[in-house]
Amino acid sequence: MTGRGPGQGQGGAAEQAAAWFVRLQGETATGEDWLAFERWLAAAPAHALAYERLESLWVEMDSDAPRLVAALDAAQRPAARAAHPPARPPRWLWPAIGAPLAAGLAAAVWLGVQPHPQPPAIYQTAPGEVRQLALADGTAVRLNVASRLAVTLSADARRVQMADGEAAFDVAHDAARPFLIQVGDRQVRVVGTEFDLRHRDGELRLTVRRGVVELRPADAPDAAPARVTLGQQLTHRDGETGVQLAAVEADDAFGWTTGQLVYRDRPLSEVAADLSRRFASPIRTADAETGRIRFTGVLVTDNEAAVLRRLEAFSGVRAEHVADGVVLRRARAAR
Amino acid sequence: MERQGRSTLVDLYFERRAELVRFFTLRLRSAAAAEDLVQDIYVRLASAEVDAEVRNPVSYLYRLGSNLMLDRLRGERRSAARDAAWRQTHRTELGGAEVAEEPDAVQAMAARQRLAAVVTAIAALSPQTQRVFRMHKFEGLSHSEVAAALGISRSAVEKHMIAALRHLSETLP
Repeated sequence: MTGRGPGQGQGGAAEQAAAWFVRLQGETATGEDWLAFERWLAAAPAHALAYERLESLWVEMDSDAPRLVAALDAAQRPAARAAHPPARPPRWLWPAIGAPLAAGLAAAVWLGVQPHPQPPAIYQTAPGEVRQLALADGTAVRLNVASRLAVTLSADARRVQMADGEAAFDVAHDAARPFLIQVGDRQVRVVGTEFDLRHRDGELRLTVRRGVVELRPADAPDAAPARVTLGQQLTHRDGETGVQLAAVEADDAFGWTTGQLVYRDRPLSEVAADLSRRFASPIRTADAETGRIRFTGVLVTDNEAAVLRRLEAFSGVRAEHVADGVVLRRARAAR
Repeated sequence: MERQGRSTLVDLYFERRAELVRFFTLRLRSAAAAEDLVQDIYVRLASAEVDAEVRNPVSYLYRLGSNLMLDRLRGERRSAARDAAWRQTHRTELGGAEVAEEPDAVQAMAARQRLAAVVTAIAALSPQTQRVFRMHKFEGLSHSEVAAALGISRSAVEKHMIAALRHLSETLP
C-alpha cells in the first residue's frame, strides 16, 4: 500500500470503489496500487460488487455518450444563459463618451436593452483545451484547442470573428438574424445549420453536416456566394481568389468534438500541427520531406504518449523526444 | 519518463504472469476466464499495438487486462443493441402489428427513462465537478490534461471524479 490508495476504513463500499476506480485510471498508478486494490477486492464481496457497478456504469455511458452529451447540453442551455448575463461593456471602449452617459449606457445594458456598439464576448481556449459554449441565441459551439472567437449578438445579426482556430457550430434557426462569421478574408453566412469551420495557418476549411452555408469574400458582401451543403467541404487559402468544393464524410471533420482526429490522405505536417495544439510538447516533422508523408487514420486523443504510439504504428515514422519537444522521423526500417 | 522496450514489457509479463492470473481470477470469478484474459494481454504485448513508452510498466499490464475486460463488457452491450435493432427492423419488415411490438416499445421507453435518469444525475453535480467529469469522460482528456485545462491540481481532478462516480453509483438505480 502506497498510502495514496483509498483506505479500507473510510466511507462506504461505493465511495471506496469510486476512489479505487479513479486512482487506477490515473497516469500515476503503480504496480503497488494494483496489489493493494486486489487486497481490497478480496476483503469483502460488497467491494467487488460496488466496483463492478462502476465499471458497468462507465461502459453504459460510453455507448450512450453522444445522446448523453446532447441531453446535458440541452439541460444546461437555459442555466448557462442565466449564469452569464451580458457583460457590462468596459468603459475604455467609449473614450469619447462622458462618464455619466457611459454609466447610463451600462445601466441600459444591464436592463437588457442592446445599444450600439456592443462589445463582443471573447471566448478562447488554450492549447489542449476544448470548450463547449452555449450562446444566448441557443447556438451551441464547441471550440477546439488554441482557438479564439469574438461574438456579438445584436438585434439585426449575430456576428462572430474567428482568427486562427477551429469550432463546430450548431446554429439556432433565426431567419431575422443571420449568423455571420468573419474568418480570414471571407465571410460565412448561415441561417440555421451545423458545420465545422477551421482556419489554421492561413487555410480555411468549412464542412457542413446539416443545412446550407454561404461563403463570400469579406470585402464583397454582395458577391454571389459559394454555397456549401451537407456532405460538402469547402477549402480556401487566404489571399487567393478561388475556393474548392469536395464531397466528404462530414463526420470526419467533427471527430475532434468526440476526442478523435480523423485524417484521410493528409500530410503529416498537418497532423503534427494539430497534435502540437493539443498536447504540452511541440511536435514537428524532421524535414519538409517527412512533412509531406500522407497519413490516413483515426487518432484517439486520450494522451500524448498513446497518440504518438498509434501514429508510429500507422504511419511508419518514429517519434523522437528531444529537448524542446518531439520530432517525427521516417523509421529507418519497416517493423 | 522511463523508456521501456517492448521486450522489457514482455519479460515483465512473464515475471508477473502468476500474479496477473491471480488478480483476474478474483475479478472474473473464474480461473479459466482469467487464463484466457492473461493470454490476451500477451497477444497485445507481442503485437505492434503496444509500444515503448510506459511510465509504470507493472500498472500498465494490469490496466491493459482491465481494459480488455471493459472492452468485452462493451461488446456485450453492443451485440445486445444490435439484436434489438435487428428485431426492430425485422418487425417493421413483417409489418404485422401483432409481432412483438409491445416488448420493443417497452424496451425503448425503459432506455429513454434510463438516459433521462443518467442526465439528471450528472446535471445534479456541482458545476466544477460536472465540468471535470465531462472533460475526462466525454472529451477524453486525461486527469493531468483536465487539471491543466482548468488550472487545478491533479489530485483535485481525482477528488471531483470520485465525487461524481460516487454520486452516480448511489443515485442511479
